[in-house]
Amino acid sequence: MLRPLFEFVDALPSSIALRESVYGYTTLLTTHVLSMCLFAGLVIMMDLRLAGFGNKKTPISEIQKRLFPWQTLGMVGSTITGVLLFYGQPMRYYGKVYYWSKIAMMVLALLNLLYFHLSTYRSVAQWDTEVRPPLNVRLAGIISLVLWAGVVATGRLTAYDWLTYR
Amino acid sequence: MSLLPVVEALEASAISTAMRSDPYFSAIVNVVHLLGLVIVAGSLLIVDLRLLGGGLKKQPLAQVARDAQPWLIGALCLMLLTGIPQILLTPTKQYYSAYFWLKMEVLPIALIFTFTIRRMVALADEGRVHHLVRKLVGLVSIALWTTIPVCGRLIGLLS
Repeated sequence: MLRPLFEFVDALPSSIALRESVYGYTTLLTTHVLSMCLFAGLVIMMDLRLAGFGNKKTPISEIQKRLFPWQTLGMVGSTITGVLLFYGQPMRYYGKVYYWSKIAMMVLALLNLLYFHLSTYRSVAQWDTEVRPPLNVRLAGIISLVLWAGVVATGRLTAYDWLTYR
Repeated sequence: MSLLPVVEALEASAISTAMRSDPYFSAIVNVVHLLGLVIVAGSLLIVDLRLLGGGLKKQPLAQVARDAQPWLIGALCLMLLTGIPQILLTPTKQYYSAYFWLKMEVLPIALIFTFTIRRMVALADEGRVHHLVRKLVGLVSIALWTTIPVCGRLIGLLS
């Protein structure tokens, strides 16, 4: 499969230098957690509104427009630190089922987001201030909540040796 | 009076030993603690960004704060409920961690600040509070609440 590529990166001097760096992993992981808080925290606030569970007095278009730049900042931070974390030890993550589940859930979450924006969101003017938006909007919110919670959970579980294959 | 005997007693206690012996317990507690953190972060940031003059600029500050409050309180309760078992799992490790003690010192300060000064400023009539006061409150809130998860993460990574 991708194993030769992962092994190649794993043997690169820069990869080795990163994983042998005394504070590299600590700094990257802590920054990853903070970026995650920014991103996932604001995504949750938005999804609660979409699902009709919370922030009910704010128009959906406002939440979308105003929080998006900050969510993007969080996503960029998480991605940069995430890529570096992975780059430092690709063979550690290669065999972890929870790691690949995390990536899969992220892809699904982004597909959900794309679908929502390209299709459902077009009619936002009709339900912008509805406390209980139409079903497809609520579903988009709930699916997003479940998937991003899954990303956080599986991300944490990659730390353990469970479902790890050499 | 040293806490060490208490910590050693906790480490040896039946409840702490039982928690450590279950392979899934600490993982589940950690995951729920992390999910709670994300909800706390979101419910704090949505208000702090607004305090700083960004985020939901067109919404009244008091409304954003009131909408976020139940989620903040619920998530903080969740963090307490999962935080206590986390301490009981490895009491000695926390005892010897400078980051643990820093976290335990900043946490009550952050809680008091959030539910007194920040709450007052967030719910007050916006015309009656100078915008620089709001911005300062937002900055202090972010500084305090960022310190806590950073310290928490460092307990595990730097011991």
